[in-house]
Amino acid sequence: MAEPSNITPTSQLRKRIEQLGLVVVRGIEEIGYMFRLLYEALEWVVLGRQRQQPVRVSSVFSETMQIGIQAVPIIAILCFSIGVMLAIQGIETLKTFGAEAQVVLGIALSVTREFSPLIVSILVAGRSGSAIAARIGTMLESQEIDALRVIGINPVRYLVAPIMLAMLISLPCLVILGDVVGLLGGAVYTKIDLNLPLSVYFDRTFEILVVDDVMQGLIKSVVFALIISLVGLANGFQVQGGAEGVGRATTRSVVMSISLIVIADMVFTYFLNR
Amino acid sequence: MTDNAEKIPVVEVENLVTHYGDRMILKGVSLKIYQGEIIVIMGGSGSGKSTLLRHLLGLHKPTSGCIRLLGKDITKLNNQEMYEIRRHMGVAFQGGALFGSMTVGENVMLPLREHTDLDEQTMQIMTRLKLEVVNLAGFENLMPSELSGGMIKRAALARAVVMDPKLLFFDEPSAGLDPVAAVELDELILKLRSALKMSMVVVTHELDSAFKIADRITVLDQGDILMTDTVENVRNSDNQRIQSLLNRMPRDDAVDTDEYLRRLTGYN
Amino acid sequence: MECSTRQEGKFMIVTLAGEVDLHYSPEARKQILAQLNDKNHVLVDLSGVEYIDSSGIASLVEGFQLARSKQLEFGLVGVSEAARQVLELARLDKVFQIKATIAEFIDH
Repeated sequence: MAEPSNITPTSQLRKRIEQLGLVVVRGIEEIGYMFRLLYEALEWVVLGRQRQQPVRVSSVFSETMQIGIQAVPIIAILCFSIGVMLAIQGIETLKTFGAEAQVVLGIALSVTREFSPLIVSILVAGRSGSAIAARIGTMLESQEIDALRVIGINPVRYLVAPIMLAMLISLPCLVILGDVVGLLGGAVYTKIDLNLPLSVYFDRTFEILVVDDVMQGLIKSVVFALIISLVGLANGFQVQGGAEGVGRATTRSVVMSISLIVIADMVFTYFLNR
Repeated sequence: MTDNAEKIPVVEVENLVTHYGDRMILKGVSLKIYQGEIIVIMGGSGSGKSTLLRHLLGLHKPTSGCIRLLGKDITKLNNQEMYEIRRHMGVAFQGGALFGSMTVGENVMLPLREHTDLDEQTMQIMTRLKLEVVNLAGFENLMPSELSGGMIKRAALARAVVMDPKLLFFDEPSAGLDPVAAVELDELILKLRSALKMSMVVVTHELDSAFKIADRITVLDQGDILMTDTVENVRNSDNQRIQSLLNRMPRDDAVDTDEYLRRLTGYN
Repeated sequence: MECSTRQEGKFMIVTLAGEVDLHYSPEARKQILAQLNDKNHVLVDLSGVEYIDSSGIASLVEGFQLARSKQLEFGLVGVSEAARQVLELARLDKVFQIKATIAEFIDH
């Protein structure tokens, strides 16, 4: 570092730039760390059996239970509400043009392409991403990770790979669920407001929707799954300083993964809609 | 155990230098541990004893020097070779480090599950046998959070020895235990050694415990080994640092009444 | 690394030798359980055993349990000092029938 004495404007500027540089370097380091986790986890998934230390299906299953199955009720409630909300807004807006019936198109596209993946991912980030960071951080602090290593169990194989696989399985499934429930929410409100029968609503929806629309949501959800699991894991593995550190990592992982999800979503939407 | 004619080294540390960031922690440590012996690594906080242990466990890569466990230099092993060595090592961590999501029994059985393909029934019996040995019979279905501090240490010991390792590492066995529990644990360590013929490395700052179980004691201070010798010789050492560590006194100066009062009151 | 069996009196003698460790004990276990399942009284001869680990001990425990449930006799012979210490650690020396020679079991 530079000499701390004689604080002139230039030296202060220099200090700022140095700090900025440090932040950038740390950020790049962290991204590098995440990619290494991803690479190692994939390596264990592929080569585990050959090394006679397979990634256990039972742990993937139990993680999927926690991340996926247990999130079903809350996802259903949220996505239903989103569907209703989109219907209300859509009908209000389209009334000005006298084109209320077009609301079906709006709901179908917004739910499958945008809202379902986004809401599901944000919910899972808050629910499971934080839990992952907290769990890994606690295990690190209590030397459980060390214990795994000295027993000869690679933590990436034993903890990271199952979490990542479970996330990659759960999120797309939850998005499909979100699609269905979201459309249902829209249908129910449209029925109440415009008295459009559910069968007609769904007939029209399936006329409009093409596989690409649903695929868009699913592709996004795979990327979001990677973001949530890698951010949660990386924050967990970097915990320092006891319970307080675990708390900090938990918060950081939620804020970070939600921010990354929203930004990634914007980028995706831009490219996928061109 | 110390005067065997043919002593086979199970742990050999040569010129181990380690850094934490830019700070040098171990400054060229050399140490040999022989088969069947209990060596106690002693030192105050900041002496580097935990760092030495972590390197012996292969959890960190040293800056330089070599560490041979059971004849193999672990600083140069690949993952598969390290995995093989780990079958013969057991570690009991300070806080137990039992996995909170598993029962006590599952914790103890985990090394068997990972390293062997024994019959389920055999693994169950081996697990219960080891719990029996550490006086935790009947506790296998409890969660670690339901155990007391002493029980957690004993469960951790059971997990550490479930594979009958040749080498057992024990971090601060008596820390945080009441005196009776601490003595019991020391007895257990001695009993295990004589029955299972393992070599043990125990890191502790508890003198009573160290004197009771050690064949030899290594005294670590500020990253250097001050001496490695029998309990007797360490006790009789005239090294100032060792004596102050043994007597648990920072200094041995006579109290100068006037000087002391002046310091307390601030009057000159 | 062999695990031979022979008949002597009413007993089937299962002789273990060498190092009864993680690799060897599944075989020993199979032999012992097979003999018991054939309704034979079993003695396990440990006099040739240099080392027995807890997987070996666990196999003996399992055998003893099976023998008791089938009301068959099950004993250990030629227990070395090293093996005895391992048994004592878990107080199994007070549980197993242990005698110095096969003859002692047969005369009994």
